[in-house]
Amino acid sequence: MDPEQLDEFVMGYLKKKGFNGAAKQLQEALHNNNNNNGTGSSSSFNSTDYHNDPELTKLIRSFSQSENDPTRYRNGYSNLRSWAYNSLDLYKHELLRVMYPVFIHCYMDLVGKGHTQEARAFFNSFRKDHEMIHLRDLQKLEGVLVPSHLEEMEFARSLRQSKVNIKICQYSYDLLLQYLHRTESTLMLGIINEHINFQVYSGQPNSSSDDIDAVTIVGSFQETADHVNQKEIQWGLLEDSLEDRLEKTGSLLTDSEKGQGESKDGDVDDSNKKRSTEIGKQGSSLKKLKKDKAGNATAKVARQETSTVSPAPRVKSELALPVMSTDVEESILEDLRNRVQLSSVAMPSVSFYTFVNTHNGLNCASISHDGSLVAGGFSDSSIKVWDMAKIGQAGSGTLQGESDTNDQVAGPNGRRNYTLLLGHSGPVYSATFSPPGDFLLSSSADTTIRLWSTQLNANLVCYKGHNYPVWDVQFSPFGHYFASCSHDRTARIWSMDRVQPLRIMAGHLSDVDCVQWHPNCNYIATGSSDKTVRLWDVQTGECVRIFIGHRSMVLSLAMSPDGRYMASGDEDGTIMMWDLSTARCITPLMGHNSCVWSLSYSGEGSLLASGSADCTVKLWDVTSSTKLTKAEEKNGNSNRLRSLRTFPTKSTPVHALRFSRRNLLFAAGALSKPTS
Amino acid sequence: MSIVPKETIEVTAQSIGITNLSPEAALMLAPDVEYRVREIMQEAIKSMRHSKRTTLTASDVDGALNLRSLEPTYGFASGGPFRFRKAVGHQDLFYTDDREVDFKDVIEAPLPKAPLDTEVVCHWLAIEGVQPAIPENAPLEVIRAPADNKIYEQKDGPLIDVRLPVKHVLSRELQLYFQKIAELTMSKSSPALFKEALVSLASDSGLHPLVPYFTNFIADEVSRGLNDFQLLFNLMHVVRSLLQNPHIHIEPYLHQLMPSVVTCLVSRKLGNRFADNHWDLRDFTAKLVSLICKRFGNTYHTLQSRLSKTLVNALLDPKKALTQHYGAIQGLTALGHNVVRLLILSNLEPYLSLLEPELDCEKQKNQMKSYEAWRVYGALLRAAGLCIHDRLKVFPNLPSPSPSLLHKGKGKIISAEPRKRKLSADSSQNQLPHKRLMTTTDGLRPQDHTGPAPMHVDKPMGKKGNESESRHQNEKERGKGRVITMKAILGQIWKDDLDSGRLLVKLHQLYDDRILPFIPSTEMSVFL
Repeated sequence: MDPEQLDEFVMGYLKKKGFNGAAKQLQEALHNNNNNNGTGSSSSFNSTDYHNDPELTKLIRSFSQSENDPTRYRNGYSNLRSWAYNSLDLYKHELLRVMYPVFIHCYMDLVGKGHTQEARAFFNSFRKDHEMIHLRDLQKLEGVLVPSHLEEMEFARSLRQSKVNIKICQYSYDLLLQYLHRTESTLMLGIINEHINFQVYSGQPNSSSDDIDAVTIVGSFQETADHVNQKEIQWGLLEDSLEDRLEKTGSLLTDSEKGQGESKDGDVDDSNKKRSTEIGKQGSSLKKLKKDKAGNATAKVARQETSTVSPAPRVKSELALPVMSTDVEESILEDLRNRVQLSSVAMPSVSFYTFVNTHNGLNCASISHDGSLVAGGFSDSSIKVWDMAKIGQAGSGTLQGESDTNDQVAGPNGRRNYTLLLGHSGPVYSATFSPPGDFLLSSSADTTIRLWSTQLNANLVCYKGHNYPVWDVQFSPFGHYFASCSHDRTARIWSMDRVQPLRIMAGHLSDVDCVQWHPNCNYIATGSSDKTVRLWDVQTGECVRIFIGHRSMVLSLAMSPDGRYMASGDEDGTIMMWDLSTARCITPLMGHNSCVWSLSYSGEGSLLASGSADCTVKLWDVTSSTKLTKAEEKNGNSNRLRSLRTFPTKSTPVHALRFSRRNLLFAAGALSKPTS
Repeated sequence: MSIVPKETIEVTAQSIGITNLSPEAALMLAPDVEYRVREIMQEAIKSMRHSKRTTLTASDVDGALNLRSLEPTYGFASGGPFRFRKAVGHQDLFYTDDREVDFKDVIEAPLPKAPLDTEVVCHWLAIEGVQPAIPENAPLEVIRAPADNKIYEQKDGPLIDVRLPVKHVLSRELQLYFQKIAELTMSKSSPALFKEALVSLASDSGLHPLVPYFTNFIADEVSRGLNDFQLLFNLMHVVRSLLQNPHIHIEPYLHQLMPSVVTCLVSRKLGNRFADNHWDLRDFTAKLVSLICKRFGNTYHTLQSRLSKTLVNALLDPKKALTQHYGAIQGLTALGHNVVRLLILSNLEPYLSLLEPELDCEKQKNQMKSYEAWRVYGALLRAAGLCIHDRLKVFPNLPSPSPSLLHKGKGKIISAEPRKRKLSADSSQNQLPHKRLMTTTDGLRPQDHTGPAPMHVDKPMGKKGNESESRHQNEKERGKGRVITMKAILGQIWKDDLDSGRLLVKLHQLYDDRILPFIPSTEMSVFL
């Protein structure tokens, strides 16, 4: 290299960094040096310093280049990329994990330095590599073109501030470092240093290339999540629950009597019908509260898991729960007694409610616990409620029964046979029935939640509190309380008798898209666009669990009846099974190829049903998996849950699913013509 | 750079009244515009997801704008795809094509159909884990197979479009109607009802979906019921009614129908009883054939030629039964005089020579055969006569031939019976064909000269009547057991007339058309 040039670099560098004094001195020295050279003097102090040292020269050169050459990012990245792709297969997948964080930070560096054009070109040439896994993030980042956007965009900011955790084996780590050192790609080294946190482990590289825990993108967030997940939660069922009571009484029943009960389904259906009308009369009595005053938890063996899983512990309710009238209690007990035992060999029947002529207006559908009422929320702000016990074809619209001996009364001719509920002033995004089916809650884009009486067909209360569209609302398993979540990034707990929320759960980094109650009513789970699921303590309003692993927004949640597990479905069609106590994903359930809009556990928790935009209802065997996890927990390896059945509909995306107490599966969706 | 071009920024600025936007500012703004648009689209996608849709709509974008307290876009929520136009003079500048709509047009336009109200229908998606095969459920095999095929085909070879089988829905009413008609056709008990059915078939407007079923039914029954004369006749009546129905578009099914019709025309045996008058059936079918040819001859040019080819083949095959020959002749006659002239008259001589031995009662011991031969002979005469008549009609100097023809016909009917007998008498007397021809020529001549001399008609008839009278007795003995219908008699009359017509044809062929007006005198003279 020309010494003159080198001198200029050094000068430029010093000036740029603001070392004006040093620059002046250097200039003088150079001047002197030249003069000296001119006069023939050989006493030069600095030329020997760096002109003759090749290492130093290189370093100086790299410094000078890094300052203003955007192509360095591109070259550095593409070299690293080709090296990683050409590495040994054994280590390849681990090394490839490094590529994504390097990629996005290179891009953001380029944008941050104002090289808009180069940033765009760089992004487009390499985005294909990461599209499969990180499509949503890429779509978000793609719009960032100006440094100010980096500041403004929350996602970009959090990426800049946090580190990525990458699990990598010792040898891969060494390989990487060696490469970076050998090629002197200081730029890449800098990025990796700055944004990646390697968790090096000894031994052979992990064979599973899609280990969920391997890459966790939110570094600083991860720590808080880890911290949060240390908290203790009581995931057990409520003591003195109806199921327990059934155990007590059920033990008196002999098997033959049970069989008789089941064979007399027809009669039971009649009684169910009566029940649904009776519920209305004493629905108001539910408002009275009662302190649950039972003593210590005595672990009761849940009926369905007597032989398989260890019993779920019993916990006290932290909320004051409403009193359940004896009639309702009786009918629920009756239902539980007549529940069909489901397993991987005994499949449920699925009754499908198809909305026709919706003109693409159906936003949500909800089915009451006994399947007799179906509500649809529409984008024209209306809610329509159908009483399927009155209309519908004989047999298929029965309340609870698995038999089809009921003769149904057809709706009045000429009149519409649904109840139209008007009150909202924006698209209705969610609706939920209270457990006995006497109330309906709806949430809308007009930021309100409304309570409707299905007996009076009238709006009772309007709950205002959210500032943005309310995406979801859910009644608690015992009624009276309900939870809502909104675009304002909060979830809120309400009771029917107060127009102000009781608790506000804040913490999600983006919209809270769905909410679900834990069976013991002490927790709610929320799924968000920030791709996490959180569990909140209802009493304290604290976040007690953060579940990280989804790759796109979480759209649906379901809690297993024993309170131990949770399932969440996302936009890409992945369903994840979580263990609440460890906050770890047991296994992802792959199979759907579009949004999973609804999830439901069967009554005894052995099956999980999922409904998706790909027009299918899938049944998953979750008993075997939970058993296996117990056994395989030591291996630290996640096992695959089994997909049992797929029921394709003709052309109906599945909006809602519900297992009735007798384990009849109800599904609902709007018929949509294929767009081809 | 940004996907938003600089020009868009400039145009937008102009549209809101900023005229002096510098290009640098536009360049600076473009990336930010892109960022904001992306932000809004991201929100819109959220709105779409919560509406449980997979297609983004304008209302989703409005919702997203609303979330940011921005004014929504107007005029896009009405649905329908946007049409973008390229701005003239700019490369990457587009605008939406907004048509101006006249208020008057909108107000005067008929109200659109009210949309159907939302309903909920219920069905079993699965029963104990098994999907029942009901129409509400997706047919598993049908859906799966093409999907697999497609993947398979994409891998190797050209892509083949796999079409799902189309289901043809027939309403319950139509099914019942079809059943009823089929029953009536099959049963011969209630002719009155069947007549009603035929009227309905010929006039009802909603029967088109049934046409394929009817054609199938007819084809099946004809092939199965060749022994059942009444059934065949009924079926041909059904065909005629279907042809008559103006609301039925029968053309696509003609190719299925024609074989059955031709079968009824030229089959060796139609009906199994002696009493079955298959001649009638053949005559009726011949009329059908002519009807079909008239209606569809224009659209299907090959129809007539193919038909006549089949018939001529049947006629000229000496191995075929005489009944078949008869049918063929009748069919050809029905196709018009041109066909007759071209196909029958040209073959007349050799054919007649073949027929002669059959006609001879002495040589042909089987009376049935002989009768059949005479029927064929009659048909031939009729064909020739009609042909001649039509030809004669062409000439202007023969005024009003038809009334006189009618007149003549009447006269003949009166004297039909005796003359028929006379004919058989002729044959019984073992006259030479040549001689017989000579004797009967005078009977024919009047037909040809009906124009100028209607008076001639009655005269020879009277003569013949006398003749036949004298032979009445002989004939009666031999004519025992012979079933003679009115129709047959008419045929015989024609035969009488045309016997000499054959001669005329010969003459006609010899002397060209111009000779015809002179035929009477010349022929007379030749004959005398």
